[in-house]
Amino acid sequence: MSTSPQVRAFRGMTRAGTRSVLIYRGDLLTGAVTLVIQVVLAIAVWRIVYGGRGPVNGVDASTAVAYAAIAACLQSALLPWQFSSLPMRIRSGQIATDLTRPLGLMWQALGQNLGVLLARLPLAAVGLAAAGVLGALVLPPDGAALLLAVVATVVGALIAMLCNLIVSMVAFWTLEISGPLIVYRFGSSFLSGSLIPLWFMPGWLRSSIEWLPFQAQVYTPVSLYLGQTRGIEALALVGMQLVWFAVLTLLLQAVWRRARHKVVVQGG
Amino acid sequence: MPAIQAADLVKEFSRPAVLPGRLPRLRALFSTKRETTRAVNGVNFEIEPGELVGYLGPNGAGKSTTIKMLTGILTPTSGVCRVAGLEPSLDRARNARNIGVVFGQRTQLWYDLPLRDSFEVLADLYDLDRSAYLRRVGLFTELLDLEDFLDTPVRSLSLGQRMRGDLVAAMLHEPSILFLDEPTVGLDVVAKARLTEFIAETNRTDGTTVVLTTHDMDDVERLCQRIIVIDSGTVLYDGDLSRLKERFMPHRFLVLTLADRSIRRVTDMPYATEVETSAVGAVLPYPDRSVVLRFDPREITTPELIARASQVYQVDELSIVDPRLTDVIAQLYDGLLT
Repeated sequence: MSTSPQVRAFRGMTRAGTRSVLIYRGDLLTGAVTLVIQVVLAIAVWRIVYGGRGPVNGVDASTAVAYAAIAACLQSALLPWQFSSLPMRIRSGQIATDLTRPLGLMWQALGQNLGVLLARLPLAAVGLAAAGVLGALVLPPDGAALLLAVVATVVGALIAMLCNLIVSMVAFWTLEISGPLIVYRFGSSFLSGSLIPLWFMPGWLRSSIEWLPFQAQVYTPVSLYLGQTRGIEALALVGMQLVWFAVLTLLLQAVWRRARHKVVVQGG
Repeated sequence: MPAIQAADLVKEFSRPAVLPGRLPRLRALFSTKRETTRAVNGVNFEIEPGELVGYLGPNGAGKSTTIKMLTGILTPTSGVCRVAGLEPSLDRARNARNIGVVFGQRTQLWYDLPLRDSFEVLADLYDLDRSAYLRRVGLFTELLDLEDFLDTPVRSLSLGQRMRGDLVAAMLHEPSILFLDEPTVGLDVVAKARLTEFIAETNRTDGTTVVLTTHDMDDVERLCQRIIVIDSGTVLYDGDLSRLKERFMPHRFLVLTLADRSIRRVTDMPYATEVETSAVGAVLPYPDRSVVLRFDPREITTPELIARASQVYQVDELSIVDPRLTDVIAQLYDGLLT
């Protein structure tokens, strides 16, 4: 992956992903409208829940409201409705020509997914702008928190891409994966903390969620940005992200080895 | 060095066995029993650079499986294949740059994107420099008349347009070897003619080696000098197209249009047998007045037969028809003459 033709091939796939999103303007527009409604509702609900009261579990009203708004926007970029074209390509058999490309299939899929993610960033920006207009956004407490949040967002996005791809690869064995996808989609929204901040979850649930890769996607970056997690704990969260990134990379490789074996030996 | 080499190539697939008795599916879930089928069973051939070879066989004969091994999609169970000196399944990425592939039944283009965008993505995938890319796309646009739909999303293209796009996609990176798996399936006569013409032209001018699998014998007759016929995973015939006809269908047809339409049967023609007009497989000008005779040129020469026919009957028109490849191949598949 260090040689330049490989990098260029990867960028080509990214471009294909970006364009295949941007070409459907109507879909993007609907997505933006939906997200704005979601952000507005989340802000309204959390403001009523707090109703002028003081901090709950150490989280004050403005932080909770900002969290809800930012998390919804981040989630919309990380978890698009169709988060990989791989299952479709497996079903239609297009995977055969994909395997005759000079770039490995996993890099092709990741490149495409990265392109989709990049193309959906403007959508998230629209959601954030709406939150800003409603006065729901707050600034991070200091530069260090901002820096950590940026790093955590990038690593979180990588983790989300790996998770999405690994789940999509179930299609190599089952062909039809809408069922697992719906479970995954709901589970991921809940467990990543994008529906409800993890601060408000009961202790036993929180400690189990800490063992899953989902909180690294949304909860970690947003909580770092808001300065809710500071100091050594903040570094631990980012460290945990990096561990998950490594683990998921290895897992993807293992799954792909099995899938490739199935395809090239048994003919899919 | 041959462009393509297959030596004792074998591909086996194993599937969960279907169990006899009650609840076969449920029991299959818990059973580890598998059954093995040999899709390709010891195939041997060599193809020289610049050849245009028809790779034929009935459905399920093992054609696509062979192509998939040659393109690196499948790993052979045993035996060796080499494409431009490389072993495709071990060297997939390098092999990819030498070959172009078209699977007629599915597209390799990006469904949502305009044709031109697909080409640009391919230019990135194959690391083409800008000038080479523009030259190739310009050339193909002219040869295949792509101008009108270059900016149309692939999902809105007609089948003929899409096929042309797929062919360009396979050839953009100037591969020296082209695998075409049923490239003309479902196309109308005009679209098919344009495509076969283009394939022949590419083979002639660039010296591209082409392996073509198809069920369309017109394509084969128009394009291939050499054919390889396989069935049940083994090679039945490998050689010249014309020799195949000589070997399996040595006879020709003489079609007579007689002036006297009351003559329904021709009896006094030695070395020739009257057959049904449908045996010719061509449209006859006057079916109600036509008589078809089948003869073997090794027994009686064509001029002799014509001379004899004109002596005996008053002939308005006559023509000589060769057996169609379709019939030859059908005989071969049936195993009647092997």
